Amino acid sequence: MKKFPLLPAITAVVAAAYFLVPLFATFYFSLKMTRGTLSFAAYESVFSSREFLDSLAFSTLASLAAIVMGALIIVPTVYWVRLKIPRLRPVVEFVSLLPLIVPGVVLVFGYIRLFGSNSYLPMTNSDHGTNLLLVFAYVIMSMPYMYRAVDNGMAAIDISTLTEAASSLGASRLRTIALVIFPNVRASIIAGSFLTFSISLGEFVIPSLLNRPAFGPYLVQLGQDRAYEPAALAIMAFGFTWACMALMQAFANKKPGQAILPFLSRKEIRP
Amino acid sequence: MSFLSITDATKSFGTNTVVKGFDLEVQKGEFVSFLGPSGCGKTTVLRMIAGFETPSTGKVMIDGRDVTQLAPNRRRIGMVFQAYALFPNMNVFGNIAFGLKIAGLSKTEIADRVQEMLKLIGLEHLATRYPYEMSGGQQQRVALARALAPRPQVLLLDEPLSALDAKIRVSLREEIRDIQRKLGITTVFVTHDQEEAMSISDRMVVMNSGRADQIGTPAEIYNRPRTSFVAGFVGTLNILKAKVTDAGQRKVSIGGRPLQLNEQIKSSDTNLLLALRPEALSLTPNDRQDVAIEGTVTHVNFMGSVIRIRMDVGGESIVFDMFNMPHLTPPAVGQKALAHFSSADVFEIAA
Repeated sequence: MKKFPLLPAITAVVAAAYFLVPLFATFYFSLKMTRGTLSFAAYESVFSSREFLDSLAFSTLASLAAIVMGALIIVPTVYWVRLKIPRLRPVVEFVSLLPLIVPGVVLVFGYIRLFGSNSYLPMTNSDHGTNLLLVFAYVIMSMPYMYRAVDNGMAAIDISTLTEAASSLGASRLRTIALVIFPNVRASIIAGSFLTFSISLGEFVIPSLLNRPAFGPYLVQLGQDRAYEPAALAIMAFGFTWACMALMQAFANKKPGQAILPFLSRKEIRP
Repeated sequence: MSFLSITDATKSFGTNTVVKGFDLEVQKGEFVSFLGPSGCGKTTVLRMIAGFETPSTGKVMIDGRDVTQLAPNRRRIGMVFQAYALFPNMNVFGNIAFGLKIAGLSKTEIADRVQEMLKLIGLEHLATRYPYEMSGGQQQRVALARALAPRPQVLLLDEPLSALDAKIRVSLREEIRDIQRKLGITTVFVTHDQEEAMSISDRMVVMNSGRADQIGTPAEIYNRPRTSFVAGFVGTLNILKAKVTDAGQRKVSIGGRPLQLNEQIKSSDTNLLLALRPEALSLTPNDRQDVAIEGTVTHVNFMGSVIRIRMDVGGESIVFDMFNMPHLTPPAVGQKALAHFSSADVFEIAA
């Protein structure tokens, strides 16, 4: 019989405890809103708050807009760089990483100088204009993740031969991108989208300085004003993140023609 | 007038000229192969016909129309790639339907045409399969159907069999030829495999460092190679050193043995090189064979239906083949033997 791996087992337990104990403590604390009993009162309080739902809806909408815009900018860019100017790939990659180096505050102050009330294009004067600026900022913030995901996706397919095949069949560049390239990197775009979504949902600095009613500032405000609700929110955020990761996995491993959850579909696949 | 013509095409990448003054006329319905070692420019010429490369000079005409500057997607060509290049996100039906959809055909027209194509390649039962669910041979047949579906004017095949294993390679090349004959489509096929090129083509173009060394039917190329490159690249060849004794009478001597050639001597030198295919020599003479040379057998290679014998003739090595027959005993190594051949089969090659 094999010897029981004692040391690895201890390491695993300690490491798991490191993550699970605080999580459990937070969860336990979030249940103690009503004195003397354990209840989901804190969760009820969060969900019944008008502000919570409004800010969540606002941020979700802004994130979705950022995802669509980001995909429309990044997929053709990555495609073009890989197909036509592979020499410049390192440069473009570096540019895509800039948002990790330059803090969001700098971006917002840049915005205020460029689009403030006494500039040529005073976008901050209206709500719609500022919302648009917020979406742009989300696109920029998520660029490093979106770019990387899409770039990896395109590395996995032979885009130059597929492009030639499509064009020999009469397809223009635009149709090739729409019908061949986009569908084949869809899994990567979705993976990038989940990252974009979680980043823009939690982002505090930019919406707060632009004074938009987003989810990030709401979270911070709640943390200052309340005791039990933030713990409840933290647990929910944790569950949400896990769900996102599971979905990313499901999409990343999905083969064309398969359902998202293969065991639910009845299509038979023979070798 | 020819259907597809390439006139004086040159292609340079920077300082590197990969195609030099290439000329070719292809008739409608003809099957032409480009054969050559890697880097000889055969794929570049194919890509110029497809429109993926623009010639630095020269022009490409299809059906009387100058297409040199036309974008690939407007040339009405069908192309099959070595790496299949099926669209991974579409099933067999979707792949074959792609070109038809782009052309704006109606749903019923598309379904009919795809069905017709599936029948042509014998894969009606796999319409809903995805590329990753099929073998290489099946994928390449789908790629062929996809290329043919929109009724292209010219079919271009870029080493379509190179990625397949030997057995499928042979059966698929026969299938490609059958389909090509049935549809009567003008086809250009690129390969580095001489057997493939010879067995499949109406005419072949043997390419060497960016030039077409020789253009002709497989039999012409094999039996009468015009340059030493073609002679060396296609098939096995015995090279015999000879001396011109009487240029006017086409008389030469090989190792002191007189020989009269069939064709005019081109070399102005007294020394010239003669070539002879292994199958032109035999141990037992027949009526046509008027010359015999003596040598010592150095190797006997039993290859099944054929026995390949290597013989040393005055320091020169000569290879020849004989058919195996149950009652025949091949000569032993070290034995002296006479090799017979016909002077008509000997041809001169440029040094």
